[in-house]
Amino acid sequence: MPHRTLDDNPAGLPDQKLLEEAADWAIAFQYETPDPRREAQFREWHGLSAAHEQAWERARQVFATFGQVPTPLTREVLERLNHASARRRTLRLLAGGAVLLPVGLSLARHQPWREWLSDERTAVGERRTIALPDQSELALNTASAVNVSFTSAQRRLQLVAGEILIATQPDLPGFKRPFLVETPYGTVRALGTRFGLRLLEDGSSRVSVFRHAVEITPQHGAPRILEEGQQVHFTTTEVMQPMPVDENSGLWQQGMLLAQDMRLGDVVAELARYRRGFLNCDPAIAGQRVSGSISLSDTDSALDLLERTLPVRIVRRTSYWISVQPRG
Amino acid sequence: MFMFRAQSGIHRIGNDTMAGSSRQQTHVLYAEHHGWLFGWLRGKIGNASDAADLAHDTFVRILASRHLPDNLGQEPRALLAHIAKGLVIDHWRRQDVQRVAMEALRHLPESFMPSPEERLVMVEALVRVDAMLASLPARTRQVFLLAQLEGLTLQQISEQAGMPVITVRRHIRKALLACMSTL
Repeated sequence: MPHRTLDDNPAGLPDQKLLEEAADWAIAFQYETPDPRREAQFREWHGLSAAHEQAWERARQVFATFGQVPTPLTREVLERLNHASARRRTLRLLAGGAVLLPVGLSLARHQPWREWLSDERTAVGERRTIALPDQSELALNTASAVNVSFTSAQRRLQLVAGEILIATQPDLPGFKRPFLVETPYGTVRALGTRFGLRLLEDGSSRVSVFRHAVEITPQHGAPRILEEGQQVHFTTTEVMQPMPVDENSGLWQQGMLLAQDMRLGDVVAELARYRRGFLNCDPAIAGQRVSGSISLSDTDSALDLLERTLPVRIVRRTSYWISVQPRG
Repeated sequence: MFMFRAQSGIHRIGNDTMAGSSRQQTHVLYAEHHGWLFGWLRGKIGNASDAADLAHDTFVRILASRHLPDNLGQEPRALLAHIAKGLVIDHWRRQDVQRVAMEALRHLPESFMPSPEERLVMVEALVRVDAMLASLPARTRQVFLLAQLEGLTLQQISEQAGMPVITVRRHIRKALLACMSTL
């Protein structure tokens, strides 16, 4: 946002309430599927006054602005700005006007590779493993999204959604670029390693270290080293108490869920991540402990297996609305 | 709310509706402090032509605000520097966006080769997109971009981000309103 000083009179800005109404219409038409009745209502609303029309025009301009740039370009530019500029701007302010060139960028032209950027994502139920330019391995679990940015200065991933497993390789000969994974809550730096990272619904990330170590730096907290065999949750402000890593928690890469004395509710919640629609477990049986292995590749078979081996029945209201209930 | 940009060649000083005495004071203010402000800005950004643009923008900003110039307090230079500092930060950000956009354009596949005019339009639009998103909290921005750039439905975002659809919608509404106010 541009910096404002004094109390800029927001000249020409329509009334806040009208802007909010316009935003609601915009959401309905841009991101939802409005039915024909809503369209008639919208036309009526839009015709109420010039101010209504202006408020709508503001919303329209937002989309028009995005529409002027091809989406991949916008994505890449925002991504690069996100990483590069905040820190550099601070440095320049500190330097009182001296122009500091970003070192990585000035070197890049003379290096044997080009910057490598990509966005990787998986659909619900999909899993995929890719090789990064330095031959490190990145596996994405279901419904996950990662932005990859390899430059001459660093190897950087950004976990946007879901869960990943990383097996890093030593950097290319002659380079020692840090390997960093950003999450909304903080950054994980690989210290030669195989580790897993998952964004959780409660506003934290979970890191599991299977080999060597990582350094976790919450967005607003002190860095902390996590050793092999440990697993920990961290938020924007703190790293929680480490626990022994669940060796089986990386088996999703093989399409397997190995439950050892796991709550049935947690097993069902895990399965739900791999399916579209709604899958839940009756609270009456959610606390029951179960063990066994089930397939994450074919969740319908997995549900059948639960029904065959446990005192539960699978209630399919529709194929998108399934409930695990006590039997009888 | 509006946003000033440093634009070479557009030096708009004065306001036709301004009362004569205010106009007089503006001229005094300009005469007494413009040289100093220009020097201060050139020291900050090391470029005379950009510094001249920003100095003019600072005065335009003063004129456009309601405090006007008879009410600048005992330290008009402190106020001028305060306003100018904000404009310098915007200026740097704009340069960052331009540089990054030009780099990214170079990396696009050869089949996609916009003309120089198209490039300018895209870079301008990206500067505006960046400004629109700048005030958003990280989570809100992320949710909004999943809808706007990735084309995900609210339901899909809800599944991916693990938050209820109504929360997704609230983030998007907040983002959209911020964008609408920043344009």
